[in-house]
Amino acid sequence: MTLDTRTTVRARTATITLTGDVDAASASVLDEAIAAAAVSSPRRLVLDLNAVDYLSSAGLRCLVFAHQRLGRGVEIVLAGAHPDVAETVRLAGFDRVATIEDQVGG
Amino acid sequence: MAVTRAMLVAETAAHADELHRALTASGFDVRRARPAELADRPALLDEPDVVLVSAALGLQRVALLGQRFAGADKHPAVLVFPEDDPGALEACVRGGFDYVTPPYLPGLLRGRLVSSHERGQLVGAVEAMATMASLHAYERDLGIAREIQAGFLPEHLSVPDGWEFDFRFRPARHVAGDFYDVFEMVNGRRLGFVVADVCDKGVSAALFMALIRTLLRHTADNTSAWNLMDAAPGPLAPGGGSLPPALGLGAGPLVQSVVSTNRYLARNHLRQGYFVTLFFGVLDPVSGSLLYINGGHNPPLLLRGTGERVPLRPTGPAVGMAADSVYSLGHARLDPGDTLFAYTDGVVDARSPGGAPFGTSRLHDLLAPHPPSGRELLEAVDRALADHVGATEQFDDITMLALRRAG
Repeated sequence: MTLDTRTTVRARTATITLTGDVDAASASVLDEAIAAAAVSSPRRLVLDLNAVDYLSSAGLRCLVFAHQRLGRGVEIVLAGAHPDVAETVRLAGFDRVATIEDQVGG
Repeated sequence: MAVTRAMLVAETAAHADELHRALTASGFDVRRARPAELADRPALLDEPDVVLVSAALGLQRVALLGQRFAGADKHPAVLVFPEDDPGALEACVRGGFDYVTPPYLPGLLRGRLVSSHERGQLVGAVEAMATMASLHAYERDLGIAREIQAGFLPEHLSVPDGWEFDFRFRPARHVAGDFYDVFEMVNGRRLGFVVADVCDKGVSAALFMALIRTLLRHTADNTSAWNLMDAAPGPLAPGGGSLPPALGLGAGPLVQSVVSTNRYLARNHLRQGYFVTLFFGVLDPVSGSLLYINGGHNPPLLLRGTGERVPLRPTGPAVGMAADSVYSLGHARLDPGDTLFAYTDGVVDARSPGGAPFGTSRLHDLLAPHPPSGRELLEAVDRALADHVGATEQFDDITMLALRRAG
């Protein structure tokens, strides 16, 4: 299982598009993408999860890491998450920190 | 080791012939090959102690050839020799290659090749030692982490009459931060138990797990038992009603330990992205009443003797995620014949050789409503897990707990 990320920054919104599974083996890939996106000091971080089938607790940790790294003022949006992925996010209570949206820009 | 076998690699014969004669005269067993032949017959690569490559091939091809000759346990010396273009030789020498130039006098040639070979062996030995050393350091770190982790798991479980506690704890090779704990609370009138998953791996996770376990236990031990109304920050979940005082015994320490651990982690370890999902239960062994806080953890399942399956869903977010998180108390009751099954996500995340996770629904299917014992329940899950993962390396810790009230 691998994970690919693609990042675009527009008008202080950084969008990371993920393709693959986010698990313990691939979490570092997402960490690096988040760290790289943080450099542009975005006001909003959108993670496009349409092409993510699976998110483990290690993947969840990336999201918490993103929240802590970017600071309170930065909105984190999880867009297009599959039902299982959204459930993982809700179970851990991360939906209190991030906004879950059906689609990017939705 | 005697240096006896030389390999000459060149496209053309002219200059190589002269070198060939000198090598034979200085006692070498000489083989010759064109670069294309080496690609066709890889066995040739295993033979030589020294390799002499024509500089006319160019630095890049010389370097590639050198890499092909270097095996896992052998480092033949690779030298270059000039053909008509001294510039080509100079490029290779600047690129780090040792060299020989005419006139090729057998005694000098042999001395040069032997010393080059010995230097190569030494470099190889040092590289191997460096690799071993870093491997040892890594293994030592793992050993330390495992000891920390093992030292913080309960040695003896004091289980009240009429109850069974069964555990599975299988750390992954990389040592993640799962832990479980069982301890007496409120002067032995309540039994506290924790199943938790620290979201990290390695030594730092083991240290972090030790910290969290200590914070939870210490606060639970040092909070007075009765101050539920002072301590509870939110309403009871799921009912929302208040508990009679006898039921609420242990609620104060439970809430305090989770809330203060959360606050401590969120304030002090924010930058590291650490958090922990946990299920902390406080059992009254006499009545079967169970108070709990589920901080973002996979819902444990209460398997009723009646066949009903009740998930004990989160009553608050993962611990350490935000300093102002609110935790509610959950309440359930274990009647005779009921079993509580709690686990960490190493169970549902376990991958098959094809990469498919074990999954929550498969786990739920396994949890028959009437397990004959907690031990057999865990064994059944273990067997299904082993079938699923096959020879795949276990990536995450696997922890399971079965708490059963004898029926």
